Amino acid sequence: MTRYRKLLSLSLGLLAATTLATASLAADAPVKGGTLVYLEQQAHTNLYPPAGGFYPNGGILNQITDKLTYQNPKTLEIEPWLAESWTVNDNATEYTFKLRPGVTFSDGTPVDAAAVAKNFDTYGLGNKELKQPVSEVVNNYERSEVIDPLTVKFTFKKPSPGFLQGTSVIGSGIVSLSTLALPFEQLGDATKIIGSGPFVVNAETLGKSLDLKVREDYNWGPAKLEHQGRAYLDEINYIITAEDSVRIGALLAGQADFIRQIQAYDEGQVEAQSFTIYAPGTRGVNNSIVFRPDNPLVADLKVRKALSLAVNRDEILSTIFSKNYPKATSIIASTAIGYVPQEDKLGYDPEKAEALLDEAGYKLGADGIRAKDGQKLVLTSYESLPQPQSRAVLQLIAQQWSKLGVKLNVLAGDAGSKVVDELDPLKTPVAVAMVGRADPDVIKSQYYPTNRNVLVQKGGVSDKVKTFSDDKLNAILNEIASQPDREKRLKAVADAQAYVLDQAYAVPIFEEPQAFAGAPYVKGVAFEAVGRPAFYSTWLDK
Amino acid sequence: MTRYVIGRISQALLVLWAAFTLSFILLQAMPGDAVLIKFLNPEFGLSADQVAEIRAAYAVDSSVVVQYGHTLVNFLQGDFGYSLQAGVPVSAQLATNLPPTLKLAGLGFLAATLLAVFIAFLSSMAPFAWLRNAIQSLPSLFISVPVFWLAIMLIQIFSFRFRLVSVINPGPWESLVLPVATLAVPIAAPLAQILIRNIDEIRTRPFVSVARAKGASETRLLWRHVARNAILPTLTIAGVLFGELIAGAVVTETVFGLNGIGGLTEKAVGNQDLSVLQAVVVISAAAFVTINLAVDLAYPLLDPRLRNGHGAAA
Repeated sequence: MTRYRKLLSLSLGLLAATTLATASLAADAPVKGGTLVYLEQQAHTNLYPPAGGFYPNGGILNQITDKLTYQNPKTLEIEPWLAESWTVNDNATEYTFKLRPGVTFSDGTPVDAAAVAKNFDTYGLGNKELKQPVSEVVNNYERSEVIDPLTVKFTFKKPSPGFLQGTSVIGSGIVSLSTLALPFEQLGDATKIIGSGPFVVNAETLGKSLDLKVREDYNWGPAKLEHQGRAYLDEINYIITAEDSVRIGALLAGQADFIRQIQAYDEGQVEAQSFTIYAPGTRGVNNSIVFRPDNPLVADLKVRKALSLAVNRDEILSTIFSKNYPKATSIIASTAIGYVPQEDKLGYDPEKAEALLDEAGYKLGADGIRAKDGQKLVLTSYESLPQPQSRAVLQLIAQQWSKLGVKLNVLAGDAGSKVVDELDPLKTPVAVAMVGRADPDVIKSQYYPTNRNVLVQKGGVSDKVKTFSDDKLNAILNEIASQPDREKRLKAVADAQAYVLDQAYAVPIFEEPQAFAGAPYVKGVAFEAVGRPAFYSTWLDK
Repeated sequence: MTRYVIGRISQALLVLWAAFTLSFILLQAMPGDAVLIKFLNPEFGLSADQVAEIRAAYAVDSSVVVQYGHTLVNFLQGDFGYSLQAGVPVSAQLATNLPPTLKLAGLGFLAATLLAVFIAFLSSMAPFAWLRNAIQSLPSLFISVPVFWLAIMLIQIFSFRFRLVSVINPGPWESLVLPVATLAVPIAAPLAQILIRNIDEIRTRPFVSVARAKGASETRLLWRHVARNAILPTLTIAGVLFGELIAGAVVTETVFGLNGIGGLTEKAVGNQDLSVLQAVVVISAAAFVTINLAVDLAYPLLDPRLRNGHGAAA
């Protein structure tokens, strides 16, 4: 336990001092029993595991499903879990996993090669009949092969070096054949998600609460964890409490034990009562604003550079955030794999910014807004609801840019308008972007035209793009996703970071954490590599 | 009477159909659609081809007329479909959200009525002009208090400070105390306002003077003569308010973490979850129509003048 706790506190790095203090008390033996009351801000949506990226979903799936492999949150190494061992061929097109024997789903069926094969066939290829979409983390998937009841082999059309890590993420939770036989539109019912995890869904009131119960016979946690056997808690009680002040108030008043989503400005009142703030990083692409160069206003590199130079990160962080929100020093987090610091490309220099805009031909007009050939430098961006205080951040950037003579309109808008407008670079030359995943593939996910395509290049979902496409960037991204040689792959990751910033496609702002708060007696809370809580080793010291 | 009821029921059906159709048209006119919102969401990170495949599977790009016909036929068969966003049948969502809403709305309404009657009677019996004025300005105060603020204040004071009631995992009755109070205040305001206005107006009528001259006490006067006459317009407003209550408790539900139709609707609108919205619209319309029908049918019970056809013109 001691070692694991220490490991944890180190891995989180961002933990408040109080947690570090509790680590020294780790000699206490964990106590079995009790119910953890967990307040969640939003109800879960569809619990099809590849939809686990949505935090409320991930917070549930992480307790009820296991993965083939476990990504150590400290070292980011891949360790055994449901798979005891694995082999990968040289060009990363064939993965063979040897499964741990004796593992069962909560409905009693075995977690065997056939079940695991069906899971990845579904995640890799989708199931059109049942409308189950493919998983973002499984690229170039071709087929599975059951070699013996405990050995399964996956074959890929092209090298897929990210697949091993892909088996450890929240979206690759293994579920039973009965779950995968249900149509997608029925998978929002948590009681139908049958996994092999340390907890089982006991009861659910849709949109209001969810009760998980410990699985007494659970004996197949990640092999290298010190804690083995059943989880310490008897039950976890998720309650949807949308209102921030009610979640915090209830925690402080002793009506709840653990809450998700706490804003930076509320951290003080929680810490003042010696409750603990947990702010695990998400280790992927930083919270950034990105440009859509298909829009002529931001097509000129000089304009993008100027806008980047005019963003004062320190002011944003000190005004809106807390110490739990580290300043971005690259397009990916400093805790991400392959991170290379890029501070020299991320300076704040308003004078140089002005000079660049002058050079680009944008002259200050009588109304205080720069214009070129009658085109005013007026930009638009939607706020991003899942990102912390997105609106405040954009408004502050708008203020910083207004000193340059650039106007930024910040829109809230309904979900439909946002989705449609964000596909059109003319309507949204600027957007907020962020994605968490502890593998370099995440950079490709973010920028590649057929993935999230945040720069809105030609070749993606949008039919509004006229010409913009960056072949050099896409080549680097392809290299990241398909280079089996680790050193060469990391080189591509470094290239991508430098290139995106040289082109000023993105202005990274901060490394986005997931913020939680817990009562002082809640011990042993762990987080997977991207900040979803794992309550397997959690216990209540009261 | 039978003809009247049949007429009213067919009118109600027409209203339901119109509500269904109008909401369908409005939702179609909004930019984007549920499938786009669900699957272009970064939580999936799907490619263009994959999104296109899913769109085809959900037939979202088929003609509006075909979609309308399809939805209408399903509705008539009682099949509300699935919520695309939540991934559960709409009927299951209604089953978990409708009962708490009805309970909250019913109790909230009852509390509001009692509060309104209390305020109105207090104001008409208050001995001093200044006191009367103070009581009569209560409705304006009540309606100006933001529900959101009121709810949070009640929680902060009664739950977090004095720890009298629990907001998290409360007992079945405990869970209703604060939300009902929150809901009752703004609903009581217009009721009390109208009741006060009517009582004041009816007091000046000649028959009141006659009753007083005959020696009726002030209390008997108020209860037997004034109140009965003042209640009719209040009932009409009450019918309208109750309908609003069912769909409009969003803020209360959100703050207290209750599930209900209000919150369900709010989410469905945000995600353009067509099947959920259609079901909510039809159910809300049905509630409105039923309540107003009940109010109309209750008139003759309260007012003898309306009991026979020819007296109704009086």
